[in-house]
Amino acid sequence: MPKQRVMVIGGGLAGLAATMKLAELGIDVDLISLTPVKRSHSVCAQGGINSVNARTRQLGDSEDLHLDDTVYGGDFLQHQPPVKEMVYWAPKIIDLMDRLGVTFNRTSEGHLDNRRFGGTLFKRTAFAGATTGQQLLYALDEQVRRWEAEGRVKKFESWNYLGPIIDDAGICRGVVAQDLISMEIRTYPADAVIIATGGCGLLYGRSTMSLVCNGGAVSRTFQAGAKYANAEFIQVHPTAIPGADKLRLMSESARGEGGRVWVPRTPHDERSPREIPESERYYFLEERYPEYGNLVPRDIATREIFNVCVHEGLSVDADRQCVYLDLTHIPREELDRKLGGILSIYEKFQGVDPRDEPMKIFPAVHYSMGGLWVDYERTADGGLNIGSPVNQATNIPRLYAIGECDYQYHGANRLGANSLLSCIFSGLMVAPGIETLLESSDDGTAADQPSSLFEGARRQRQQNFDALLKRPGGGENPYLLHQQLGEVMTRTATVVRFNKDLEQAYATVCDLEQRAAKCSLSDTGNWTNQNVVFTAALIDMFPLAKTLLKGALQRDECRGAHYKPDFAMPGLEATDPAERRRQAEAWCDKFEERNAKWLKSTVAVLDEDGEPQLAYEEVDTSLVPPRPRLYGLVGAEAIEEVWKERVAVN
Amino acid sequence: MLFDYFGGQCPPYAMSDQHPEIDSFEVRVLRQDAPGERSRWERHRVTYERDMNVISALQKIAAQAETVDGQPVAPVCWDSNCLEEVCGACTMLINGRTRQACTALIDRLMEDCPGEIELRPMSKFPVIRDLVVDRTRLFRALTKVKAWVPVDGYLDRGQGPLRSMEEQQQSYPLSECMSCGCCLEACPQYTKIESTQDESESDEDFSARKSATYDSAFVGAHAISQAVLFNTNPIGKFIAGERLDALTGPGGIQMCGNAQNCVAVCPKEIPLTTSIARAGRSTTLHVLKKWFDR
Amino acid sequence: MTDTGPQGSFLVRHDFLIRRLHSLSGLVPVGAYMVVHLLVNSSILASTTIFQDNVDRIHSVGPVALQVIEWVFIFIPILFHAVFGVVIIAGGVPNTGEYRYGSNIRYTLQRATGIIAFFFIAWHLWHMHHYFAPLGGGNFQHQHASSSAAIALSSLPVKIGYAVGVLACCFHLANGLWTMGITWGVWTSPRAQKHATTVCAVFGIGLACLGLSAMSGFGDVDIKAAEEMERLRIQEKKYIEGKEERPTNSRRGVDRDSGG
Ligand SMILES: Cc1cc2nc3c(=O)[nH]c(=O)nc-3n(C[C@H](O)[C@H](O)[C@H](O)COP(=O)(O)OP(=O)(O)OC[C@H]3O[C@@H](n4cnc5c(N)ncnc54)[C@H](O)[C@@H]3O)c2cc1C
Ligand code: SF4
Ligand code: SF4
Ligand code: FES
Repeated sequence: MPKQRVMVIGGGLAGLAATMKLAELGIDVDLISLTPVKRSHSVCAQGGINSVNARTRQLGDSEDLHLDDTVYGGDFLQHQPPVKEMVYWAPKIIDLMDRLGVTFNRTSEGHLDNRRFGGTLFKRTAFAGATTGQQLLYALDEQVRRWEAEGRVKKFESWNYLGPIIDDAGICRGVVAQDLISMEIRTYPADAVIIATGGCGLLYGRSTMSLVCNGGAVSRTFQAGAKYANAEFIQVHPTAIPGADKLRLMSESARGEGGRVWVPRTPHDERSPREIPESERYYFLEERYPEYGNLVPRDIATREIFNVCVHEGLSVDADRQCVYLDLTHIPREELDRKLGGILSIYEKFQGVDPRDEPMKIFPAVHYSMGGLWVDYERTADGGLNIGSPVNQATNIPRLYAIGECDYQYHGANRLGANSLLSCIFSGLMVAPGIETLLESSDDGTAADQPSSLFEGARRQRQQNFDALLKRPGGGENPYLLHQQLGEVMTRTATVVRFNKDLEQAYATVCDLEQRAAKCSLSDTGNWTNQNVVFTAALIDMFPLAKTLLKGALQRDECRGAHYKPDFAMPGLEATDPAERRRQAEAWCDKFEERNAKWLKSTVAVLDEDGEPQLAYEEVDTSLVPPRPRLYGLVGAEAIEEVWKERVAVN
Repeated sequence: MLFDYFGGQCPPYAMSDQHPEIDSFEVRVLRQDAPGERSRWERHRVTYERDMNVISALQKIAAQAETVDGQPVAPVCWDSNCLEEVCGACTMLINGRTRQACTALIDRLMEDCPGEIELRPMSKFPVIRDLVVDRTRLFRALTKVKAWVPVDGYLDRGQGPLRSMEEQQQSYPLSECMSCGCCLEACPQYTKIESTQDESESDEDFSARKSATYDSAFVGAHAISQAVLFNTNPIGKFIAGERLDALTGPGGIQMCGNAQNCVAVCPKEIPLTTSIARAGRSTTLHVLKKWFDR
Repeated sequence: MTDTGPQGSFLVRHDFLIRRLHSLSGLVPVGAYMVVHLLVNSSILASTTIFQDNVDRIHSVGPVALQVIEWVFIFIPILFHAVFGVVIIAGGVPNTGEYRYGSNIRYTLQRATGIIAFFFIAWHLWHMHHYFAPLGGGNFQHQHASSSAAIALSSLPVKIGYAVGVLACCFHLANGLWTMGITWGVWTSPRAQKHATTVCAVFGIGLACLGLSAMSGFGDVDIKAAEEMERLRIQEKKYIEGKEERPTNSRRGVDRDSGG
């Protein structure tokens, strides 16, 4: 009888962590990835990875505070038990990565050094220079290579996942995939399939993400019946370097190490930044958020930079939007040691040394909090039941999702340096659950399933592919359509959202989708055809884009990264204490009302016609009760007072 | 260095604020449809935009799918992913020099050679199509030198060994190697190996044969440097002997001819020749020790 | 060997050892011999008598021993170094055209000078070594060290040939020393390698000066006077020897034949 096998799609941090853990448990793994796994998008992560550590602990930090920061930063939109489990694992994950040889920065005594990231008051973030993601990914890649050498893991790099194979009972039995070199389409029977294909930044044309982050794999899974949740929550990173092909990230660690954001008080001041005296600089984040300063959570920093440029007209350059991110007050040697990697990126692409001259930056699409809907099994104390096959399972039996492509950990907004953590955590944690699943299955292995199931799935994909290749000429150009899609999405569904724009965008995207169906290919060959692969990925972007826009349109509130000025809850205006009190009461009433209606995950399925249908699902907030997110709001103290009293009464 | 830098190449990322006054430029691409096919030059005209790099030029070429003389052609194939020089995917020969396409800014290239850019696939790896090459051998070398830390397992075992700042600062640069292959492309001792599958051979047999061929050929500077990285890791060094065995076996460090091109072209400025010298020392001692221990 | 890779031929399996031996043989004995050889030759600058003294001292070990020494410490190592050197050259593809870095140029020069040295040494042997006297070569006669060398080196083409050959050998040795330091891990850091470059360059230049000045020394020899000096010395030696041994010493016979 053939042995059971697990198929992992995607070799970023999440996919590799799962592969390595499964291999350790004695399970044979196949690993499919578009790129050689060592080139996965996770290499781009710069800043670091969060966990409570010995030092912060003595300053009053604890796992529960990490949990609190994460859910508060995420505006309470995530189920809390998985987050709790994750933050409790975090210190152990750092220890493990340290043992695996990650070259984390050290203190003079030889311990791991830490820096502070946004949305917390503690220095929780461990880092390896300015290439933490690269170092973490390599450590996992090395372990997987070790298992590969032992024959436990088989890698299929340069393979494109085309979709799951689902039998009549609705159970996932494997996947169909295509070799990007020979264009051969093949089926892989698998007793469990894990999707770990990362984010979908390419929906926006240019973003901080890598070129393979097109969401194709997730979309194909979604189209096969998996649920997709919280699509509308897209993080826009406050600081990126504008560029023609990509908006390159300037990591939050630049601010973590003391970088200050400012604009000249005089609009488009002609002077060179160094000639502008302190008094004529507007450190708007520091002024508006004295407690967090430049390290406010991302959604807030983004909105403030956006506001300063777009609404207050204080952009540094007249012909494009940008603000200064200034590191020039920090000694060169220190910058080289801690931020060398990211500073050299700026230098390479802008030709200016950020150690001498403040950088010019602007927000860019960065992360999708939403993703494939996954489940978990809660324990009585609010953690997860590790080893339960329900953890990270999608609604399709035997199909799992982990990493950036699940929706589980970051709610409405992700805190910096929490994503690497959630990727590794979900990867490690899914393995024991799958072990249980495999041990308990009694209906034979996937390879024992009737061959007609696999042959049928293969034939269908092959037909789709052939049809795409043989499209009549003279149609649309896929690259230009992608550009247009990106423009609509960026204009309407990023920092500030309005219903009328979103409605229009939905219509435009539907139109683009129709036009994409008429794309004609400039390459109709059957060897390393990147043209057809790109076109197929483009076509698969539309279901996700539509789900995202629809989710954003329907959600009439502000939560985390999702901001609609028409539904914002402004601060208090009154100065008279009694009136102020009344306003605060009213504010809290409205807040409660809003939560009752909207503190829910958006869960989408595609109907027969390929239209997303949305439903809303309760969120488990049993560990940290939701409270108003008051960063920088006028009258925050009064609101907080009222809120505390209410909580005390309940 | 005494004789170093004879000129000829522009220093990478030379800085200048002058944007050349051009509105378009030509890209000459060496194309090849598939392994074993003949290669040919093809010319494309690309409109100039601010902040372009070779990747965005290739993207435009793909969108146009038309040569300079208006011939419709299949888009040029190339590899890329991160677009910020950390994934190592986009290595190619740009104006004859091995480097990443994503950091090859058009403005700089125009200063170098106005109006024209020449793109070729790497010459030390088999071409799959156009600018896409098969770098399996490069990864295979990492397996050969056991570039990993042999931990017991992934359960919690508390924190790892303490390491000094200095150690970290020595290891970190080595751990930045992104497997881009520039060092191999430029190495005169690293020669191309291209195998073709026999009719009767199964895929598994073919890849086993390929691996065996790769294993007996020069491992390359990147792998030597990784061996040094793991031989200096407090846990990694438990199997230092196995790595040195690999480095003294066929295709090992002895193949290096000290041309030091590797270190000169490495985009991550990894001190490869220091690694090579350190590995040279430890392999010598290792072999002597093994000799006497027999 | 490790579990990686197939068990190839003897040469493949022992590639590391062979290459280390190759590297070593370049320094000792070949390189060391070359230094001694040039030192001895340059003593011509002091005087023809001192040069003759030095040559006589070498030959005082006797012809059999000298041949053994020549074969074991010079010919075989050079032959090994040369033959395996060709194997090494065949395994690389110089690319100085594309990558014009100093060290890469030196890499290519190392191979070029290796080949030049190979042919030069072969020719030099034929030209000077008594083995080849019957074939029209073997111009050097150890009892007439200064004069025979000066005569052999008197024509311009020969002078040019020697200058090129000696320079190639000097570069090859000095640069070989530098690469050896890396290969064996003596200089590892970029700083140390930079210092080593300077040291090796000075060594190489010094060696080249030595070689060239020896050549100019031979050019300046007053051949008549040297022959006179040599003739007197041979007579004197015969006289001394004649007092101790029978005049028809077989050793002398061999010497004369081979020197003739
Ligand atoms: C510039 C940048 C900086 C960041 N910095 C930080 C940071 O400092 N700290 C932090 O915590 N987070 C950071 N993040 C976020 C974090 O890097 C990502 O969320 C995380 O790396 C995602 O990992 P992953 O394993 O889910 O997916 P990825 O690393 O994206 O890997 C996806 C894998 O799936 C494969 N794949 C995709 N599609 C297919 C398909 N169709 N078929 C087959 N395979 C497929 C790919 O080849 C790849 O191997 C950053 C993100 C960006 C963009
Ligand atoms: S030093 Fe060695 S590895 Fe580096 S380029 Fe030269 S021969 Fe190749
Ligand atoms: S050592 Fe440098 S040039 Fe070589 S593969 Fe690594 S990063 Fe690339
Ligand atoms: S695209 Fe990643 S290195 Fe150029």
